[in-house]
Amino acid sequence: MKELERTNNGTAAHPVATSKPLTSLEIYDRYSAMAYGIILQIIPQQHLAQEILVNVFASPQLQACNSYPFSFAACVIKLARSKAIDMKKRIMELDNSSATLPADDNDKSPQRIFDLAFRQGFTPDEVAQKLFISKSEVLKAFHDFFKSYRNS
Amino acid sequence: METRDFIESGILESYVLGLTTDKEKEFVLERVLTDQDLTDYTLELEADIMSYFNQGSVPPPPEVREIIQLRTTRRDIQKKKHVYENKSSEQPPKKDEYLEIEVNDTHIKVHKWWRPAFIAVFILSKIFLIAALYFYFKAASQEQEIEKLRAPGIETTK
Repeated sequence: MKELERTNNGTAAHPVATSKPLTSLEIYDRYSAMAYGIILQIIPQQHLAQEILVNVFASPQLQACNSYPFSFAACVIKLARSKAIDMKKRIMELDNSSATLPADDNDKSPQRIFDLAFRQGFTPDEVAQKLFISKSEVLKAFHDFFKSYRNS
Repeated sequence: METRDFIESGILESYVLGLTTDKEKEFVLERVLTDQDLTDYTLELEADIMSYFNQGSVPPPPEVREIIQLRTTRRDIQKKKHVYENKSSEQPPKKDEYLEIEVNDTHIKVHKWWRPAFIAVFILSKIFLIAALYFYFKAASQEQEIEKLRAPGIETTK
């Protein structure tokens, strides 16, 4: 399992556990632009986004990606999102504000559900509660979202 | 749950995006690692997700790389130091592990606390020297006084 490799439309998918673990700078050179893009989607303030980016790539957790059973990129995506969401929550605590949905928001499209869960930091349970749908519908929306992306 | 139902449930997407709970994570990982179709699908999905996020990628400023380089270098040094300390505490050093080197340097390095210690010793030595001289001369003058006082007494008794 640790030797999984694949190619997808010419996009290099790096073997997950190579004989030599990647260093933080090697990982940075490959995935920093993608991670920075993700962080900016969650926290648009550049100075904060850069601070998070440093935290992601200087974090000891990044080395744990060397033993992640699938692609390194997915591990970086998870880590970048988790650090950005943590920062977002801390900022909200300082502002004494909480992320709420507009009262008349009835948009239950996969795009909207994905946005709420991934970028706004709501758990699938919270999204389900807020949109008055079941959790399985939320998860199904993730599948539909990437299915439509794949087919587009 | 059938493989197809499992795929369509969206739990794999949730897992890859890091939106699952620890319990769900374990469940998904167990299923994926035991089912080749799910493994293949997960790899395809990760490639799609990577491609999706690559579309929104933004190159960070070059200074960020320098900061990361500094931080990781510092961390590596600390790690090496820690490993070295652990090794040295666990195993007694062997004679063969040392390299004999010739040093022409005539200076020695001492701990910084030696400086105030030397200053304190110097000042104390001066104080004791002054005190010793004071008491010496005082004792000498007193002896002279006694001698002077004794001298007329001796003459009168004669």
